[in-house]
Amino acid sequence: MRPVVAIDDLNTYYFREQMPTLSETRRDIVLGLFVAPAPAKTPKNTLVIAEAIDDVITLDPHDVGEIGGVLTTNQVYQTLCTYDTANPENIQGVLAEKWSLADDGVTFTFTMRENAVFASGNPVTARDAEYSLHRLVKLKSRSAPIITQFGFTPENINERIKATDDRTLVIKVGEAYAPSFLLYCLSSYPGAIVDSKLVKDHEKDGDMGQAWLKAENSAGSGPYVLSMWKPKEKIVLKRNENYWGAKPAVETVILRHIAESSTQRLMLEKGDIDIANKLGPDELEAMAGNADIRIQQGLSGTIYYMGLNARNEYLAKKEVRQALKHLVDYQGIVETISRGTMEVHQTFLPRGFLGAVDANPFALDPAKAKSLLQQAGVAGEIELGMVVWNVPPYVDFAQAIQATFAQGGIKLNLEMVDGKQWLTRYRNHDLDIWLGLWGPDYPDPHSNAKAFSVNGAFSPDKNDTLADRFGWTNEELSVRAMAAVRERDTAKRHQMYQEIQKDHQQSAPFVYCFQEKRAVAMRNNVTGLVMGAMFADDRYWNTTK
Amino acid sequence: MSLAWVRQLPNTAATFIITLFGLICITFFIGRIVPIDPVAAIVGDKAPQEVYDRVYHELGMDKPAIVQFGKYVLKSIRGDFGTSFVTNRPVLQDIIVFFPATLELATVGILIGIFLGIPAGVVAAVWRDRWIDHLIRIVGLVGYSIPFFWLALVCLFVFYAKLDLVGGPGRLDTFFEDIVPTVTGMLIIDALLAGEWEVLVNALYHLLLPGLLLGYISMAYISRMTRSVMLEQLTKEYMITARVKGLGEIHIVFHHALRNAMIPMITVIALTYGYLLEGSVLLETIFAWPGLGNYIASSLLSADMNAVLGGTLLVGTIFIVLNMISDILYRILDPRSR
Repeated sequence: MRPVVAIDDLNTYYFREQMPTLSETRRDIVLGLFVAPAPAKTPKNTLVIAEAIDDVITLDPHDVGEIGGVLTTNQVYQTLCTYDTANPENIQGVLAEKWSLADDGVTFTFTMRENAVFASGNPVTARDAEYSLHRLVKLKSRSAPIITQFGFTPENINERIKATDDRTLVIKVGEAYAPSFLLYCLSSYPGAIVDSKLVKDHEKDGDMGQAWLKAENSAGSGPYVLSMWKPKEKIVLKRNENYWGAKPAVETVILRHIAESSTQRLMLEKGDIDIANKLGPDELEAMAGNADIRIQQGLSGTIYYMGLNARNEYLAKKEVRQALKHLVDYQGIVETISRGTMEVHQTFLPRGFLGAVDANPFALDPAKAKSLLQQAGVAGEIELGMVVWNVPPYVDFAQAIQATFAQGGIKLNLEMVDGKQWLTRYRNHDLDIWLGLWGPDYPDPHSNAKAFSVNGAFSPDKNDTLADRFGWTNEELSVRAMAAVRERDTAKRHQMYQEIQKDHQQSAPFVYCFQEKRAVAMRNNVTGLVMGAMFADDRYWNTTK
Repeated sequence: MSLAWVRQLPNTAATFIITLFGLICITFFIGRIVPIDPVAAIVGDKAPQEVYDRVYHELGMDKPAIVQFGKYVLKSIRGDFGTSFVTNRPVLQDIIVFFPATLELATVGILIGIFLGIPAGVVAAVWRDRWIDHLIRIVGLVGYSIPFFWLALVCLFVFYAKLDLVGGPGRLDTFFEDIVPTVTGMLIIDALLAGEWEVLVNALYHLLLPGLLLGYISMAYISRMTRSVMLEQLTKEYMITARVKGLGEIHIVFHHALRNAMIPMITVIALTYGYLLEGSVLLETIFAWPGLGNYIASSLLSADMNAVLGGTLLVGTIFIVLNMISDILYRILDPRSR
């Protein structure tokens, strides 16, 4: 094959020869049509990942929120610290070398790593960390609550997070929490450290570089840089040649938008893509015998649940809520519908997190459900509505649940709606029951504990939580959960969460059903993929082909 | 050839504008009635109230509907369809990026439809009720009855996965992407202009299967309509006259019957082309084809109303223009309408 011109974003020119003559051209076209086309396998130095990325609206690390966006920023930017995915309780420094907590319990001092540099060549300093965390709060982005829950506001942030010199960052939180709590939050994707000099150079009208970073630009220190973003088509990452750590073996990573899972499967089998992220149980089973494909299982923190609106006259009664928990065929759904992609899980902390407990006391039991309903004073058949996103797996879950509800004398009306309507109804709590999922924002138990068992009134930031959304107020559990996040002894903290969950599942308006088991399929020559426990937390920089 | 059609132009232009305006009205107000919260779509479900309020104001949603509509119409006239909050580009630019892919595919489809469908229809009409007629009609019937989603997946499975005869989903292999500079957005033309023959061949391989599938659907419809109008022509009196005069059968079929049959077929072909240009969402999803259908559908699911309206206006305009062209061609080709 003759070398062709390729011009990529880093302005590298590859050499090309003279324009072909007419007879050469004719020969090429004829040959091309009759000879088999160039092998459709992906190039050796490129990792092609199939994912649904048509909803990515920004690649600004402090504003990002969709799967494609977070996957990208996780390869391009780095945080102060991270955690070992195999053992989430083990926290390690990335851009911060070490840290310490003063005796007052609120003042953290981070020492930055000396040899870290950004892709631009600028060194990573505490001032960049300061700028980044300030930016997250001042932009009032949708991910800001992860940090602002520590009592930071745009008004006090300049005082609370300060770089005292190039290597030292001091963070003063609002109250004395468990130290791991802050560290887990800082390890999450909104805690990305950006190149403050580069971003300030591209600032426009005081937007802190938001317009620039929203587009096809990056200012990170990670193993890859953003090379191209064609919205709804693909995101291309190129190896960071200035990377301060071990440079990745794979030069180019491409996230391709391929929405249809059957298409992903066919392309993976042909070698046109290397990794397929969005395969359903049908495709995984069909590929089980294929020697060219390997399926890697990972921990996922996502929990599927039904939110019961406690404002509804029936759902306000605890016995009714408990009855509903006995009207779902958890095991049946896992075995027949999900087939390897879900496991039964009935508490609010996913397996693999600090404080997780193996407590699944509910099973399908219509007789018990009926007796609970009678205790609640509910006579005869009652009707409830459930808002369901009209895509798998929700559709299948909903139909199964409707059937088992009927066994308990409850007529469940399913409202199948599209994704945006589903979110709108949930926000407005304009429903009886909502079938959905929850992914923790950071690998600390407080993320879920706060969402499901703490009312805004009892939390320092006063923000509404899921408990509020579903109209349930419980002071006792709120107080206990807030005490757990302040407990400095990790073992004790672990135990507190376990007890909270057991009590919570006996009264809360949440029917926890399943925890997701993520499965990613790849060509068997791809090794080194690290699957994180968090949302869109796959790490591609250790892969080889 | 009289210039009557030129004198009709003001009428045509007026119809065009009124139809377009009606289209804008309906799409805009449907967009406002649909129970999707575009602000929640942008900020997500975990955002605090102040972020929500800020975006609400930025989108101009605090102004009355009539004001929003008026502003929208004025901007559309200038070609400003707003910015897509997903792609962060002007919608017009998005359309310039995504439409050529659909245009390329649709053009391949309609050409296949015309060059296979019309001869098939003629053959079926001339040899009516013979086995060839039945065969053509069955093939056509299968074409527009079969669930397209299923057919596309099965063809992809057979011809791409198993037999390796065609290129896979997507417009190019990863290896050939981003080599040819974008001039028109249609890879065939751009590759020809750049002289990149390997890219051209690869693009053709990828166009082959989706193009054939679209061609099959249009062929099914076109052949059936051609057969219909041809049968009508073949039984007309002038045919008997021509045969009596001693003209050869092939001559009268092609020179007389077919030419007359083509006049109503113009409308059929124009509408089929318009239908293909709308961008088949199913096809584009299965073949990961970054075209207009995908763009409008994903914008709708993201509640990106600027993009949806822009895309819908484009599709509406295409239909209106195609209708106009077929009207004009009608008047040129059919002397009786003058």
